[in-house]
Order: sequence, then C-alpha cells, then structure tokens
Amino acid sequence: MAGATEAATGAADLDLASGPLLEVSDLRVTFRGRRGTVYAVQGISFTVEPGRTLALIGESGAGKTVSARAVMGLLPESAQVTGSIRFKGEQVVGRSEHDLRDYRGRNVAMVFQNPERSLNPTMRVGTQITEALRSHLHLDRKRAHEQAVELLRMVRVPAPERRFYEYAHQLSGGMRQRIMIAMALACGPEVLIADEATTALDVTTQAQIMDLLLDLQRQTGTALLMISHDLGLAATYAEDVIVMYAGQVVERAPAKELFASVRMPYTQALLDAIPQIDREPHVLLPVVGGRPPDLSALVPGCPFAPRCPGVQQDCREQAPTLAEHEPRRWWACWHPLNRAAQ
Amino acid sequence: MSTSVSVQPARWPGGAHARRLATSPALRVAARRLLSAIPVVWGVTLLTFLILNALPGDAASALLGINATPAEVREFSIKLHLNEPLWSRYGHWLGGALTGNLGTSLASPQSVASILGQRLPVTLELVIYALVMTLVVSVPLAVLSARRPRGIIDRLSMVGSMASISIAPYVLALLLVIVFAVHWSVFPAIGYQPVSQGLGGNLRDMTLPSIVLALPLIGFYTRFLRADLLEQMQSEDYIVTARAKGVSEWRVLTRHALRNSFIGLLTVIGLNLATLIGATVIIEQIFSLPGIGYELLQAISNRDVPVVEGIVLVFGTVVVLANLATDLLYSVFDPRIRHVRARS
Amino acid sequence: MSVPAADLIIGPLEPVTAEAAARPQARGWLRSAEIVIPGGILLVLLFFCFIWPLVYQVPKPVGGSLLTTNLPLWSPGHILGTDMVGDDVMSRILYGGRVSFEVAAAVQVIGLVIGGLIGMVAAYRGGWVEAVLMRVVDVFIAFPSLVLVLAIADSLGPSEMHVIWALSAFSIPAFARVARAATLRLRDQPFVVAARLAGTRTWRIMAGHLVPNMMPQLVTFGMLGAGITIILEGALDFLGYGIPPPTASWGNMIATGESFISVYPRYVIVPSIFLLVTVLCLNLLGDGLRSRWGVR
Repeated sequence: MAGATEAATGAADLDLASGPLLEVSDLRVTFRGRRGTVYAVQGISFTVEPGRTLALIGESGAGKTVSARAVMGLLPESAQVTGSIRFKGEQVVGRSEHDLRDYRGRNVAMVFQNPERSLNPTMRVGTQITEALRSHLHLDRKRAHEQAVELLRMVRVPAPERRFYEYAHQLSGGMRQRIMIAMALACGPEVLIADEATTALDVTTQAQIMDLLLDLQRQTGTALLMISHDLGLAATYAEDVIVMYAGQVVERAPAKELFASVRMPYTQALLDAIPQIDREPHVLLPVVGGRPPDLSALVPGCPFAPRCPGVQQDCREQAPTLAEHEPRRWWACWHPLNRAAQ
Repeated sequence: MSTSVSVQPARWPGGAHARRLATSPALRVAARRLLSAIPVVWGVTLLTFLILNALPGDAASALLGINATPAEVREFSIKLHLNEPLWSRYGHWLGGALTGNLGTSLASPQSVASILGQRLPVTLELVIYALVMTLVVSVPLAVLSARRPRGIIDRLSMVGSMASISIAPYVLALLLVIVFAVHWSVFPAIGYQPVSQGLGGNLRDMTLPSIVLALPLIGFYTRFLRADLLEQMQSEDYIVTARAKGVSEWRVLTRHALRNSFIGLLTVIGLNLATLIGATVIIEQIFSLPGIGYELLQAISNRDVPVVEGIVLVFGTVVVLANLATDLLYSVFDPRIRHVRARS
Repeated sequence: MSVPAADLIIGPLEPVTAEAAARPQARGWLRSAEIVIPGGILLVLLFFCFIWPLVYQVPKPVGGSLLTTNLPLWSPGHILGTDMVGDDVMSRILYGGRVSFEVAAAVQVIGLVIGGLIGMVAAYRGGWVEAVLMRVVDVFIAFPSLVLVLAIADSLGPSEMHVIWALSAFSIPAFARVARAATLRLRDQPFVVAARLAGTRTWRIMAGHLVPNMMPQLVTFGMLGAGITIILEGALDFLGYGIPPPTASWGNMIATGESFISVYPRYVIVPSIFLLVTVLCLNLLGDGLRSRWGVR
C-alpha cells in the first residue's frame, strides 16, 4: 500500500555516480512584449545533482522564477528560450508540448509560492492529487484514491481520509502547502523545485514545511532545488548555493564555504541585510541602496556596479565572467571580498 | 481550526452534504432575499396599474371600437366596473391576486388564470428550446476558441458572435423565413402545433422562432465564456499548477477552467432572463405563436387590465425568481460560498 | 522608459486576447484598428444622415410620384432605387438613419445622466437612500418596460419623442445599476477616502473623483446600449408602435417591405444592411474602447 512512497523512492535507486540530473547551460530567456524586450535571464548555468539540495537565491526580478519555469517548460509563448537544459541528458528546451507533459510532474515537479491561489478552489484537494497520479500512472480510481491518501499521510496531514474531500479554502496555509507537496511528489519525480514555497507562510509553519521537505528528500532521494530570496533559509537547509542578480549567476559555492567566506559584495550585502537578534537596537539596517537594473537594456559592465560599495573603474567597463576561481567556488567579480561572514 | 462536521462522512458524502446545505447560511440569505423581493413584485404590479390607467384610452372604448356611442361606452364601462375609483379597483385586484384569483379578462369571458395557463407553456417552451440550443452551441464553441486563441475557430467564432449580436431579431426572422420556409420548405413560417398533437410537429414549428431567439444569445454567451476561460488560462495560478503536474492542456481547460466559469455563465443567463422575455414578445408576434408575449400585445391595446396585470405579475416573478435561483446555484457550484464557516 | 523588471516578468507579456491587454494607455489611440474602423464608418454614416442632405439636393423621402415606383438600384437620380410608393430609397435611408441616431443618442444620454446620477448617489450615500432608490430601480428592471413602451405608443400615438421616453425606461435603470456598481468600487479607494477625510464636499467628490473614473464604464456601456436601442426602436417601428409611415425609419421600411419580400427583396435587405452595419460598428467600437480602457 505504500505505492506512493514506492514510486517516490524509485529516485533513490539512482546511481549517484551517473552524473547530474539536471544540467542547465547558458540559459537565456527573453520576453518580447508591447513595452519592449526584457532580458530576464542572461546566460546562466548550473547543475542539480541527485539527492542534493541546491538553493537559488536572489532578489525579486533576479530571474530565479523565470529560470525555474524554463526548467519546467512552463514559460508562455512570448518567451524566447535559448541555451540548454538537459534532464538526464535529454534536452528540454524546444520540446513539444506533448512531450513536456510526460516530463512535468513525472521527472521534475514544482511547488509554488501561493498555495491559496495555486489550488483550484472548486475542486476537492484529494481529487487534485489523484489527477496528478492519473496523469502519469495508469491507476484506476480506487488505487489512485488510496495512493492519494497515502501521500497525504506522508506529508503529515492529519486525518488524511477526511482531508481528501475538503476544499482549499477549508485548509490553513501550511496545510495547503503540504497538499502541494503531495501533488508534486505523487509520481516520484527526481527533481523537486520549491519556488519560494515558504515565503507566504509564517515563520513557524515555514520551519515545519522546510523540515518536511528535507525529511521527504531523505526518504525519497529526490533532489531539491529551492528558490528563495532568503539567504538565511539557504544557510540552514541547502548544501549548495547559487546567487543570482539581474539575470545572471554571480556567485556559487557549497553552503558551508559560502558562508564561511563570502566573495561577492552582493552576497555580502544580502547577508548584512538579514535582521539579527544580537544587533544593536536603533541602528539602521544596512540595506543596499538603489534598485536592480532595468532588464530591458543590456548595459556593459557589472550589473551590480551602480550599487556596489567597492566598485571600481574596471567594474563599470567590463562585466566580470563567472569562473571557478577556487575549487567548487565560482564568482563573477573583479574585486571580490575575502572576509569571513559575520 | 474549524471543523466542518463532527460526523464521519461516507465515501461520497451525499448525506452529510445535504444536511450541510439545509442548515447553511446560504439558504438563510436566500430566504431573506425572497422576502425583500416581494415588495419589488408588488411594486411592479402597482406601477403597471398606474400606467395603464394614466394613459388615455380605456377598455370599454377599445373593445367597442370607435363607432360606439358615448352611451354604449358608458354602459359597458359600468359593466366592467371601470367607473369605480382607481384605488378601489386596484385593491380589488390585489385582494383577488393574493388569494389566487387573478380575475377575468375584460375582453373575453375567460379567466386570466386560464389564459395564462394556455399561453405560458408556449412561451416557456420557446425559451427553453432556445436556451438548450444556445448552450449546446456556445459551450463547445467557447472551449474550442479558448483552446487555440487566434486560431481559425477562434477568429471565425469571434466574427460570427459579433454579427449575431448585431443583427436585429425581426431581420433575422425574415431572413430565416425566406430561406427555410419559402425557399426550402423545411420549417413553417407561422403557426403552432401543440405538443398534444405530436412532438415532432411541435418542435418543427418552434425551431425557427427558437433560432431567432437563440442566435444573439449564442453570440453573447460564447464571447463571455471564451473571455472567462482565457482569463483563467492566462493568469490563474492553479492553471499553472495543473500544467506543472503534467495535465494535458485540453484537460486543464475543461476540468479546471470550465468548471470555474460555469458559475459566471449561470449568473449571466439568470440576469439575461428579463431581456429574453422581452424578446419573446416580438418573436411571437412575427411567427404567430400563441404565447403570453402575443397575448400581452393584444391585452395592452384592449386595455385589458386584469390580463396585463396577470402577465406582468408572471414576468416580474420570473425575473425575481431567476435572480434568486442564480444566487442559490452559486452556492451549489462554488464551494467557497457553500462553506461560509470556513477559516478566516 | 524604465519599468521595474519584476513587473514585466511575472506573467505573459504578449496578451493573447484584446481583453487581456487591460493596460490603460493613451498612446497609439489612432493606431488601434478595432476602434478606428468602426468609428470611422459611424462617422461617415452620421455625416451622410445629418450633413449631406443639407449640402446636396437629395430627393424628398416622402411624397414620391406614382410614376416612379419600384425603380431598381442604380437608377439615374435614385441610387438605391425607389420603393413601392415612389419614394427615393436612399433618402429614406438617410432620414431614417437620422431617426435611429437621434433616438439612440437621446436615450443613452438620458440614461447616462439620470440613471448615472441615481446609481452614483445611491451607492455613495448608502443606507436607506440607497435601499429605496435601488428598490425603485429594481422595480423598473423587473417591470417589463415593454409594457410601458407599448402602452405609451398605443395610447399617445406613435412618434419619435414617445419612443425616446419609452426607451429611456430601459436605459435609466440599466445605467443606474452600472453607476452603482462602479461607485461602490470607487468609494473605498484610497483617493476617495482621502478626499472625504480632507473635508471635500460631496458634490465635489462626485464631480471631480467619481464621475471621471466612472466614465470609461459608462461610455462603453452607452455604446453597447446604443446598438440595443437602435434595434429596439426598429422593433417598435416594425410592430407598428413606433414611427409610422410615411415618415422614414429603418424599422418601418423593413415592415412595409415585408409584404414585397418575394418580389422586391431589396426593400427589406437595404435597410437591414444599414441597420446591421450601424449596430455592428457600435458594438465593435464599444468593445474596442472597453479593451483599450481596461473596463471589465
């Protein structure tokens, strides 16, 4: 009867030595609209390894959600996607809608930010889970129902048999998010993308959901790509961290090493902006002045230059490229920092 | 945390569902609306009475014709109780109406109730036939249009619906008659065959008038539904979620978006009912259908007040009931409203 | 023009439907085909109906000679031929068009002003004022205004003025409803609340804040209503309760043409085409304005 978990743990059987699950290489996404062109993602590359947790951090508008949607193949037709996204070696970019259907939910699944708007208000939550199951696995109604209840149990929803018949508005935010997770994991995907999955929740619930995600990940061996603007969250839960700014990756490192010694002034600024309990009272929170650049124009130089406290002349002229300056540590900066994080 | 019921629901909670609906606040709201609707219906009858009496002309002279002498008119008036003061006449009518007696027609010995009984089913059949036609055409059309926006079907249906809203019913009626009744004798131009004399003939006679009634509706509802579906497909998060699960685009449209659009469609139909009734008057006249619309026209020119009041009462009640039914159906289809005691 | 990037990234940029392009932008007014084409056609029609006969010697629409009955299209001097009593069809169309436009304009303006006022006051005041006003409006909506229309026409005799009064019975409550809904939405907007708190007088708030913001809704409603009004007016004429022949109106032209339909179908077809085109353009214009101004 643990059919759901069976399907999900299938991922654990993957040989870790078989290489990355997801390989994104020079991904570029451009939107052409009435108001002009927006270069949302300007050439990013990263990999997602089986069973590991990768955090994609950045401000609103940095391009993280767009990248995640590109990986899922969920971008609208007005988006032009170039570059390469390979899942287990097979190209996702340019795949037909029909083929993408099999891929979504089965290979890669996503949990969204606003659970109250991401669930259909007129459909019972249980049905939304069985829909996920029956889209990919050929199950009859009875079996699908049983598996859905199992999934609810797996995500720690109390009284799962009863909850099956309820509607989204009858549930709390945390509960709804659990439903979303159950829906996402229903068919045992190998990669789970959590797009700001906990941003809309209160802090306690946030911790619960994150813990749940991590437990499930250990159970099922699913790789987790968590997208957030919260560097603190990344510090707590992620193994690898990628920092994005203005459509580009600016720093990348394993979490421990990143927080031990930050290189990018932008990442440092993000760290500084995290409110800390042991800070002096009535001291101005160090925020980064200015705003992220307008992505409808490609300007030369480092995108962070206008706001960087350590900016120098060469920063404005030439954009630094992302390079592996130290083993497993990548950054794109002419004048990186060498301080340890506070 | 709120609990909906303390009873363990069955696998398909039919029993608990019914109980929930019966005690639901939605029903209480509906009851309240019903009560506040009564003055509206009453107001309508009063207004009609005042108008009919305020305007020149009265039943006696209308029925006797212009060649009647004043003496004859006066005598006839007394016979019809038209010499009594306004409020007394209205009071009589109202008193009668409240006890179920709608009075007798001034133009013929028939009781108003029996006239209504004869005529109402015809109009009802016309309206229902037209609505069925409309839904059968516009729902699939809207879904197909929304499936491929700007595609061939979409463009054609947009153009078609624009045209069908813009064409006048009498023009359309004439056109259809020329093509289908005169040119190719498929349907009759006028006439009506009651169901008792054969359903086939009855439907055949009602088809052209129903098409005339249905066509602008088809245009309107198709546009509405299509817009609603597209709006969901393009901007609602649960649609994105469904796609992310790997659900096919077609199923997303029909199982997610269409389901949510039904509520809106029902509202529109309910609100439209009043104009629909008005349109039947014209159509019945053109096709000589013995419905209440046709009857209304005659009654007005005869100043047959009881008949007009009876018909107006029916119209007003239908409109009010339609609005109420729409609200009730809201709660059936939209679970958010059904469970008013949901978490805040 | 710098736009915050985040604004553009969420959601599709290329609206698939005109309805979805709900961003109020004044730029490119004239470039929008869905407004210019119907609007242009309407302007042309208006010109020919109202101005052309003043400038050019158009044959009289009434009082034709029996010697010139049933002339076909493109006859010399009668571009659309003559009808069964010898009147020039083209000029009957033009004068009939006048009637249609006058009635439509009058009915919509009356509805907008009176109905709009009622709805706005009712919604703004709230309380018992609103309850009473809206009940009265409800009565008029539930009331088959057709009865009123027919009764007036039947007893007072058919004429253009009577038609206008009668049709206003439809438009006033309709506008009242729209204005009420719009006002309810606007009433709690921050800028209105701010004006109220600053002590601005009610009529000033209404005139300066509420009305300008309601205008898009009211105007587009008026456009669509104009089309319906023209059809209704035609219906009245067709049934014999509106403008009687020999005065020209599109509706009664169709009615009188009906008996000749198998012999001279053009008597029905010509006014029908004009009717269709006019209403179609009004609908298209209303729809185009609605999507441009982002009205729901």
